[in-house]
Amino acid sequence: MKKKILLFLVLLLPFANMLLHLQSAIDPIKYIYIQTGTTAISLLIVALLLPWLKRVVNLLRYRRMVGLFVFFYAFLHFLNFFVLDAELSISFVIKQTLDKPFIYLGMISFSILTFMAVTSKKSIFRRFAKWHQLVYGAIVLVTIHASMSQKVLSIVEYFYIFIMIFFIARKLKERFGFRFFKRYFSTLVPF
Amino acid sequence: MKLGAATILSSSLIIEKLAAIENEKRDPLSFKKTSFGQNLDLNTFDQASKYNNFYEFSLKKNEPAKLAHTLKTDPWSIKISGEVENPFTVSLDEIKNSYPLEERIYRFRCVEAWAIVLPWIGFPLSYILKKAKPNSKAKYVKFTTLYDPKQFPDQSKGVFGNIPYPYVEGLRIDEAMNELTLLGVGMYGKSLPKQNGAPIRLVVPWKYGFKSIKSIVSIELVEKEPQNTWKAINPREYGFYANVNPNVDHPRWSQARERKLGSFFKQRTLMFNGYEKEVAGMYKNMDLRKFI
Repeated sequence: MKKKILLFLVLLLPFANMLLHLQSAIDPIKYIYIQTGTTAISLLIVALLLPWLKRVVNLLRYRRMVGLFVFFYAFLHFLNFFVLDAELSISFVIKQTLDKPFIYLGMISFSILTFMAVTSKKSIFRRFAKWHQLVYGAIVLVTIHASMSQKVLSIVEYFYIFIMIFFIARKLKERFGFRFFKRYFSTLVPF
Repeated sequence: MKLGAATILSSSLIIEKLAAIENEKRDPLSFKKTSFGQNLDLNTFDQASKYNNFYEFSLKKNEPAKLAHTLKTDPWSIKISGEVENPFTVSLDEIKNSYPLEERIYRFRCVEAWAIVLPWIGFPLSYILKKAKPNSKAKYVKFTTLYDPKQFPDQSKGVFGNIPYPYVEGLRIDEAMNELTLLGVGMYGKSLPKQNGAPIRLVVPWKYGFKSIKSIVSIELVEKEPQNTWKAINPREYGFYANVNPNVDHPRWSQARERKLGSFFKQRTLMFNGYEKEVAGMYKNMDLRKFI
């Protein structure tokens, strides 16, 4: 229990850090986007890494909490879009979501995360567990979304893309077996 | 997991470094005040000098302020060449002494949808062009930023650099001769900070910021429209004209409103960034959706 509380507080640190620096941020709306966005993606990567790390250290029991924090930061990110960026204009949000791939990729990812957060409750999780595979869709979309937020790609986006390919390749290998993987992806990821 | 703690630590280091930058020496300039933008609400020097797009140093906005000390702005000279009767090379000192400097408060709008109001010090580009005497073939002006990988760290990365170098921008000759178009050598009363494009840069207030090329070493009069860097990188998203236009969105985001630096609230973006009266005439027969 103590460990869970500690983890909870650690996962709140990026939020506290953001609040601390918000007052002095030169471009506050952009700052909130960057902080909440990178934290959400980083935690999503952590959550997806936990099963692969199982043999080294089994932290799977904390996975739900990490996942809920992914949702928390994604929600702040969305809130920033809706409240500060769109200034509560629902028509603007809808128009942008329909018009711009950059926005709808983010929105679809956020919907997936919302669905996962809502159905992560122990009593109903079993019924929806199968659908939680959608998280692999979310990481692909979120990677493209993050890359589109930049005028040109930097090392950070290349890192996300690399991680995404790694996850998808591992997933395909797990799903379809080594032969499938070898046939289609052996040149892509050497393992 | 220690991400948060690490961020706190690194940002306090940044604050220390930024404090050092404020002490960077800037030469005082003598200039006359003008009535341009007297009604506008100025941003602070801090905001203008710590939030920069200068890809020769870094993709991050706060990094140029920390890295720009490698740029050597003295001595500096500019070559004016191409379709002119009187090509010449001139040192920065000569430039500062040849033309009366004036202060103008302009709006500045980035294509990324942030905006700032700042007091530039400079002189109309037309002064220097008139001295060179453009000939009848001079239809466009091509500007080039210094290329020196020793001074600009990102230029030494070759194909792994942020963008292709040297950075190139261009204006149509009438845009270049427009009264609003400045060569800037200072801001906030003194010479330009290095991260803001020292020692001399273009200031075109009705166009997106990327047109206002920094640290210029060459001004060339040419017959054909020069290939500007951002148009070369992504012609679907960035054009040659890049006029601020709230009615034509960037393919990825709306340009209707803007984030003025330091504010949590957005404001309307004005047609031609508020300089419609002065510049709209130059584009009256053009489809502004096509010529982005």
